[in-house]
Amino acid sequence: MINKIKNRMFYSAVMVLLVACTDLTTNPRQSLTPEIALKDVSGYQSLANSMYNRATGFGYYGQTMMIAPDILADNLKLIANTGRYQGEEANGDRDHINIWGLNVFGAINDANLIIEGIDSEEVSGTESEKSFIKGEAYFMRALLYFDLCRVYGYEPGREINGFNLGPVLRLTPTLKASDADYRPRATVEEVYQQIESDLLEAESMVGYAPIASEWVYYGNTGAVYTLLARLYLYWGRMEDAEEFASKAMEILNLRSNGEGLVEAAQYVQSFSRAPHPESIFELEIRQVDWNSADGVNNSLNSLVSDSEPAAQFILSASDELIASYEEGDVRKDCWRATTRDGIEGEVYASRKWTGYKGDFLENLPIIRASELYLIRAEARYQSNPAGARADINALRFRRGLGAIDNLLSGEALLNKILLERRLEFALEGHRWFDLKRNEKNISKHGDFLEVPYTDYRILANLPLDEITLNNLLEQNPGY
Amino acid sequence: MRKAILLVITLLSVNFLVQSQTRTVSGKVTASEDGLPIPGVTVLVKGSTNGTVSDIDGNYQLEINENDNVLVFRFVGLQFQEVAIGNRNNIDVALAPDITSLDEVVVTSYGDQTRREVTGAIASVKGEIFQDLPMQSFDRAMQGRVAGVQVTSSSGQPGGTLNVQIRGVGSINAGTSPLYIVDGVQIPTGSLSGQGTQNALASINPNDIESIEVFKDAAAAAIYGAQAANGVVLITTKKGKQGKTIIRVSAQEGLVQPLGFYDIMDAGQLASIKRQAYINAGLDPRAAESIFGNPGDTELQNSDWLNALYRDGRMSVYDLSLSGGDERTKFFLSGSHTFHQGQIIQSDYSRSTGRMNLSHQVTEKLTISANISLARQITNGSIDRGNFVNSPFVAGYVARPNVPIYDEDGGYAEYPTDHLFGYNIVQGVNQELRRGTSYQSVSNLQMNYKILPWLGFTGFAGLDFSDNRDENNRPSTIPAFASYGGSSYFLDRRIVNTNANTNFNVNKNFLDVHTISGILGYEYKMETQESNSATGRGFANPVLRYLQNAAQPFDVSGFYTEYIRAGFFGQAKYDYDDKYNVDLTVRRDGSSRFGNNSRWGTFGAISAGWRISSESFMENVNWVDNLRLRASYGITGNSAIGNFESRTLVSSAGQYLGGPALSFVQLGNDLLTWEESASTNLGVDATLFNGRIIITLDAWRKDSRELLFETRLPLDSGFGSIQRNAGKLRNQGFDFDLQTTNLIIGKFRWSTAFNTSIFSNELLELYEGLERVGNDLIVGKPIRFFYGYDYGGVNPANGSPMYFDENGEYTYQITDDDQKYLGSALPWTYGGLSNTFSYGPVSLEVFFQYQYGNKAFNQDLYNLAQSGSIGQDNQTVDQLYFWREPGQVTNVPIPYEGGRIPGHSGYQQMSTRLISDGSYIRLKQVSLNYDLPKSLLYKVKIEEVNVFVQGINLWTLTKYNGLDPEVNSLGETYGTYPSSKQITAGINLTF
Repeated sequence: MINKIKNRMFYSAVMVLLVACTDLTTNPRQSLTPEIALKDVSGYQSLANSMYNRATGFGYYGQTMMIAPDILADNLKLIANTGRYQGEEANGDRDHINIWGLNVFGAINDANLIIEGIDSEEVSGTESEKSFIKGEAYFMRALLYFDLCRVYGYEPGREINGFNLGPVLRLTPTLKASDADYRPRATVEEVYQQIESDLLEAESMVGYAPIASEWVYYGNTGAVYTLLARLYLYWGRMEDAEEFASKAMEILNLRSNGEGLVEAAQYVQSFSRAPHPESIFELEIRQVDWNSADGVNNSLNSLVSDSEPAAQFILSASDELIASYEEGDVRKDCWRATTRDGIEGEVYASRKWTGYKGDFLENLPIIRASELYLIRAEARYQSNPAGARADINALRFRRGLGAIDNLLSGEALLNKILLERRLEFALEGHRWFDLKRNEKNISKHGDFLEVPYTDYRILANLPLDEITLNNLLEQNPGY
Repeated sequence: MRKAILLVITLLSVNFLVQSQTRTVSGKVTASEDGLPIPGVTVLVKGSTNGTVSDIDGNYQLEINENDNVLVFRFVGLQFQEVAIGNRNNIDVALAPDITSLDEVVVTSYGDQTRREVTGAIASVKGEIFQDLPMQSFDRAMQGRVAGVQVTSSSGQPGGTLNVQIRGVGSINAGTSPLYIVDGVQIPTGSLSGQGTQNALASINPNDIESIEVFKDAAAAAIYGAQAANGVVLITTKKGKQGKTIIRVSAQEGLVQPLGFYDIMDAGQLASIKRQAYINAGLDPRAAESIFGNPGDTELQNSDWLNALYRDGRMSVYDLSLSGGDERTKFFLSGSHTFHQGQIIQSDYSRSTGRMNLSHQVTEKLTISANISLARQITNGSIDRGNFVNSPFVAGYVARPNVPIYDEDGGYAEYPTDHLFGYNIVQGVNQELRRGTSYQSVSNLQMNYKILPWLGFTGFAGLDFSDNRDENNRPSTIPAFASYGGSSYFLDRRIVNTNANTNFNVNKNFLDVHTISGILGYEYKMETQESNSATGRGFANPVLRYLQNAAQPFDVSGFYTEYIRAGFFGQAKYDYDDKYNVDLTVRRDGSSRFGNNSRWGTFGAISAGWRISSESFMENVNWVDNLRLRASYGITGNSAIGNFESRTLVSSAGQYLGGPALSFVQLGNDLLTWEESASTNLGVDATLFNGRIIITLDAWRKDSRELLFETRLPLDSGFGSIQRNAGKLRNQGFDFDLQTTNLIIGKFRWSTAFNTSIFSNELLELYEGLERVGNDLIVGKPIRFFYGYDYGGVNPANGSPMYFDENGEYTYQITDDDQKYLGSALPWTYGGLSNTFSYGPVSLEVFFQYQYGNKAFNQDLYNLAQSGSIGQDNQTVDQLYFWREPGQVTNVPIPYEGGRIPGHSGYQQMSTRLISDGSYIRLKQVSLNYDLPKSLLYKVKIEEVNVFVQGINLWTLTKYNGLDPEVNSLGETYGTYPSSKQITAGINLTF
């Protein structure tokens, strides 16, 4: 008996020792498991924050989406050869807008995580909080897919040789390896339908944000309507575009005479205010979002202005852009004439990206109110030229200009609208897309050669690594 | 069992009882080479601790017992000799130079062995080979000295890290460094500092090292099971010896010089090529002139940026050690200080070390020992390895020569903002502080208890502790940092790494010919790393750099990680009459890094040896001293990945509107487990002609499988990769080591040590049937190679660069499909050759190290050799041979501003133009030593004085197109910090 007990004690001692000896428990203290991270609504809010934060990356709206579409077309010229944007200025092979990366797809996955998970009963939080965050996720997913479509695909109905592919479409989150399956690209039409449905979902969930209110930093009703209007415009569904532009203008108190836009006298100054007085959707950035040298190395302000002595100032308005401004146009004042070593004549430093938050930092207005007038004008130019002219005139009035020729219509009117867009959105990344979606050749500045709409370089190339990895993934034609 | 114990005890007592009368033997020990007396020879009665040491005239005198019958004479560097005493009272002995290393003790894992017994592939480097060499870390000592071990620098920064690879590259994504064990303490490799590379192994003063053993195959390393796939390097520090206290002092001073520079253009040359580039691109040459000046202008500003950045550095090494002890207590004490300037300004390294190794025999059965070390390392680092405008290795070359470095007042001139981000590199390097300071201790305590004469117990606890501070101050006087008033960054990092083991060891001999030995043990290891960092901005004065002076607390960050490994191991050895032996090792290891259910793995090895020379049929073959065959097979593991790579992690991802952001940063894999390496080794050891020739030849194959593979995921999933076990990799080759004593003529002696390794590396398998992953990995190729375009030279008709397309035709415009395999980055052979000539007290060692057969990719040429076409970078002078007129044959394309001739691909392509043969032979070391005559020293009571001069990296033969083929490896090769040439002279004294 005693022996038995002794034995038992011995064996338990050995067991305890063995367990202690083989305990390999460690804890990644600076990270969470998904279960803990997403058990309440604040975890999902943090995912939404990640989604916005990724959108401010230099590979997306932080730089690429603002600069590349302008230098690939005719708005900008390079005035210092640091190696950046040299290829884009010349529309070199594979020198394009490259957003096929983790900034964009990571943010899409963030959105998918929210959409799939937040409604679960195990997630604590009120219904209204959940709905608000989910609405933001729908809105951001729509914006992200919209940008992928316009960079990598032709707009529906404007395909060359019938090539109609857009991005890979994923609507469920990647939570484990098997979720990350290889998929082929969806057609742009399919993705557009998804974007439409996402935005219509978002409509009832996101909150209302008056223009330039502190709520424009999140997805909101006005932004949803404007993005829908923009989508329909790219899609060629002009009546829908007009309808949603009008809806947005109505709820945002933007009058047909231009009331609601900033006064001409305040236009230049408006780019040094947070939020921008015309902002419908704006991304906020703080200094901590950047590494130490990011300001001087990567910021919009450093690339396009000389407001800081250390700024790179490698990009100037092209002479053609400057020449396009009419007398009295306040938007021309967003450019300041100066000189640069090695460049003949005048160059132009931007007063749009001013680094007003210090050390090259500023917020990024993504959707501004003036776009609604331009969308509606373009949506109307064939069906209702007078209405189109009225919208353009309303905007021009707020930019210190008089009305346009009352007889302007058809292609001439469209060209006038596109010119207004070019002037209004210089350095905001619209120019390339405005030409492309209208099947126009890409005009260039100086001696650079025009890029015909039929040229393969109208679409960006997908990263080679992705093509070799995923057999189902089709490269864009010509690459 | 009890009976056996009794028997042993009885035998021992009998031994004591028969102790009887004593008598005295005496004699003289001389060297057989020159007949001179040798002082300090240990004379021992075999099988006892009774002994003495010969005096200055080589004489000795020893009391022996009547029944003692053999004397053993030992002296470092000479062959030991056993002499039968018989009835003689006077025994004179002549000791021959030690050329056989057969009976050297080889330190293995958890106990010692003599080389005779070893069945695995083990190589040693003895401390005396690298004593007083101006190297900062011991890993350098293996370079070119050990067959199968490839050592390359990652940087020429003094005290920087090295890459060490044993028998090829065994993994794709997991670590490929061997496991380092210093006196039983397993220490991690890498850099301690983030402000300049600082070798974690450099806290051990190389002069404190007795020997380095390299375990190359599974048989040798399997007892370290799960971490041994990349081989094991065991470092043993010096221990005190019984006898009189030996004091050793050494000092040396020297010079550090750059190996060489790129030959770059002066202002006039750059202006002329840029002018041509503008003209060819249809631009106004006056624009070029306004930036680069008029090429015809003889008054052109001509700044020598390199001269302002590079220097002849100074170096000094001081070293002091004391060792000695009595029967029960032995000690080794040492201290050292090293200061080593780099070839570039503001780059230096200093280190102070202290060490105390103690062992004490408490009772006859119990011995305790402690090895305690402390080191401080301070690195002032340079920015290297990257195309950074603030790296002197980039900007020093590309900075425009027509821009002044200094202004009229002697201050730093402003650099034009349209080049190098307006960064004046000389100002930047001088004013930016980049410092890493580390305190590190690698220490241990050990207890050995002899339970029975044949059974022992060992308890061991080891600690590797380091505290590191990184400081980076960027003062506002540098224009790039002026906008926010300068910044200061501090990072404090602490690494605590402990391991402990206990084991029982057995060693028993039966019936004279059977020996069984074995070990059974348990080991536990845990490592935590933690850091905190903070950045402040806005300093009122550039002199202020501490955070309390910062106007704006800017950024805080931190880091915590840990892992645990535990294992059980056992080893059994059997030896029959020194002819046949067999070893069997098993280890079961668990690691916290892997998935919950896949943490444990079993590893092991079996090996056997056959000493042919001990067979009776070899008895008459006199010229064979030793001939032995070895064979082994085993499986070891690799777990060198991040600590939490098997888990799905949700981590901080910055902020939005002040709210924290979380994102999924990693996809987990519950099944993640050990990477395995199966290795086979066949070896021959031979000692011939009375030790004049010693050969070791090993043929080996190492198959790595279930690789810890960061497999790609499609980016559209939101993740770039996931860690999996997949793929197969094969390394195989030969290691050959030859030591010969070529000539002994009187006092003259010439000996040679040569080693070489020939190996191949091949990817056998990927995952999911893939034949390749992008252009990075291809089945059937080595895992490190270059892939790109095949440069076709310049079209003599128009000066355009041409490439070969996929069909081998010339093309101007390349597509993805035109890229091809351009060669392996791994050499197929490497090794070293050392010749030592000595004549009495003078000796000269000449040591070459080489590698052959690898390609090297030099990214510096992207900047420096693009026909003056892109940006404002200065160019190498050879770019002046650019194409000028139709029919001209040259390799340098027409200068064309922007580097993009319409309809052509851009100038900067990853092509064979930037790839060259990375093979080299380097005169690594020449040392000249002179021992002052002992007779002279005896009067001043100094035992030994040795004066020496040595040179490091004196000469290199290579076709490589960059600065230093040794620091070129894969990854960023922009602005690598090349090795330096060093010449030092010194003296060491032994009292």
